[in-house]
Amino acid sequence: MIGDISKKKVTFKIIAMLVFSDILETAVHFCFKKSVFALDNFQLTGLASAALFIKTVSVSPYLWLGLISVGAVFVVWSTILSKIDLSVAVPIASFSYILVPLVSIIFLHERVGVLRWLGIIFILLGVIAVSLSSREKITPVIK
Amino acid sequence: MKENLFLILFLIALTSICDTINQLFLKSTIDGLNFSPSFNIFKIIRFIFKLVKTPRLWVGFIFSVISLVIWLFVLSKSDLNFAFSADSMHYIFIALASGLVLKERIGSLRWIGTACIVIGIILASLS
Repeated sequence: MIGDISKKKVTFKIIAMLVFSDILETAVHFCFKKSVFALDNFQLTGLASAALFIKTVSVSPYLWLGLISVGAVFVVWSTILSKIDLSVAVPIASFSYILVPLVSIIFLHERVGVLRWLGIIFILLGVIAVSLSSREKITPVIK
Repeated sequence: MKENLFLILFLIALTSICDTINQLFLKSTIDGLNFSPSFNIFKIIRFIFKLVKTPRLWVGFIFSVISLVIWLFVLSKSDLNFAFSADSMHYIFIALASGLVLKERIGSLRWIGTACIVIGIILASLS
């Protein structure tokens, strides 16, 4: 059983790292959104306009800040996974599903309705269930 | 507005599929290298070298670049909070791909979780 080789306990240090990775993950998507802010009314008409889109985005410092954050998330996340199980890490890390809407409201002035919050809660529950399911004992199919 | 919503959902599905393809290539590349977890730094460096030399990894990488470009296009058309929530649909594609392509067995809890995510995306799309 997978549970037998469970790793060390979740310490305060690991929680702090998980929160940090959540904040980084949120920063990634905030930066990506910022990098396309000027392209709000962009119309995709063909290959030439697609090339223009990529050219415009690639010179945005926000894109590169976002990509650096992607690298940082990878390093932090790998360190976390070397210390605790994935099925423990993912539910705590899915905090970003709450953090991203909060950042969207505060910094991007987006509106998040009641129905959307309800949707987010369902997604969160789903992500937690999926990540816990890796501990599930699955009876092999007998043929 | 409604047409726009479907286009955005379609594009998010496309990035998720590209991401899933990338994950499949990555998984099959790593499985093919027969690496046993180790904290020996030399072993890890040698593993990374072997990984980078595998063409399959780069095919996956191309898909992740395509996924990034589509994702940026989606963000230019949609609110961040909606796009980020809807992007959780990659869990659905990963579950399907793991079952169909990698022949992994998928338990009931995972299907329940995946169904919850689908309901969540539908609710988030309605507002």
